[in-house]
Amino acid sequence: MSSTYKPQQASDKNLEAMRKFAETYAKRTGTYFCSDLGTTAVVLEGLAKHKDDYGSPLCPCRHYEDKEAEVAAAYWNCPCVPMRERRECHCLLFLTADHPFAGTAQEISFEQIREETNRFTVS
Amino acid sequence: MSSALSVTDATFEEEVLNSDIPVLVDFWAPWCGPCRMVAPVVDEIANEYEGRVKVVKVNTDENSKVATDFGIRSIPTLMIFKGGQKVDILVGAVPKTKIEATLEQFL
Repeated sequence: MSSTYKPQQASDKNLEAMRKFAETYAKRTGTYFCSDLGTTAVVLEGLAKHKDDYGSPLCPCRHYEDKEAEVAAAYWNCPCVPMRERRECHCLLFLTADHPFAGTAQEISFEQIREETNRFTVS
Repeated sequence: MSSALSVTDATFEEEVLNSDIPVLVDFWAPWCGPCRMVAPVVDEIANEYEGRVKVVKVNTDENSKVATDFGIRSIPTLMIFKGGQKVDILVGAVPKTKIEATLEQFL
């Protein structure tokens, strides 16, 4: 990532909400976090930041011309339609056991997330 | 030691479209998990292909115009440009061997 660009972290409240959602959803769907939990941490920070800024956890692994319109359309609000219909998550947050990047964890702590995402910010 | 240069809406034409050698562009966003996996691979490629391929990255959150103009949807997306034209595209956390094999076609 760029050495000069410093992305903003989400609020603690929404990060915790997304963390709990992700743990529950992984267990319910029989999916696992990435074997590299740093990837999981970054995605959860992105989802929570979108929830802060736009009211819904829009997927952080897409480019949108208009984020407000996308939130209203709901297709890419996590869990997105491809995930709900086919258990496909190109963000590598929820992986089926046979996915090459799948780990064995369905849990991640708040501290684990911030330990990773603090590396990218100044705050 | 070389690593991928950051390109913006303002510098894209000069750095990418007007380049004399093929360009690999990494479209990424800050809180995109798979982008974080691809970034070090892209930096390695910048070193290995120095002088033969120019490697740059575009933060799509900060440079929405370029990302939209080139139809970026899923990120990370890697695009290869040659002679000012988009010649290939790789979407997602693709392995290094796939990126190399794709690049070789345009050298």
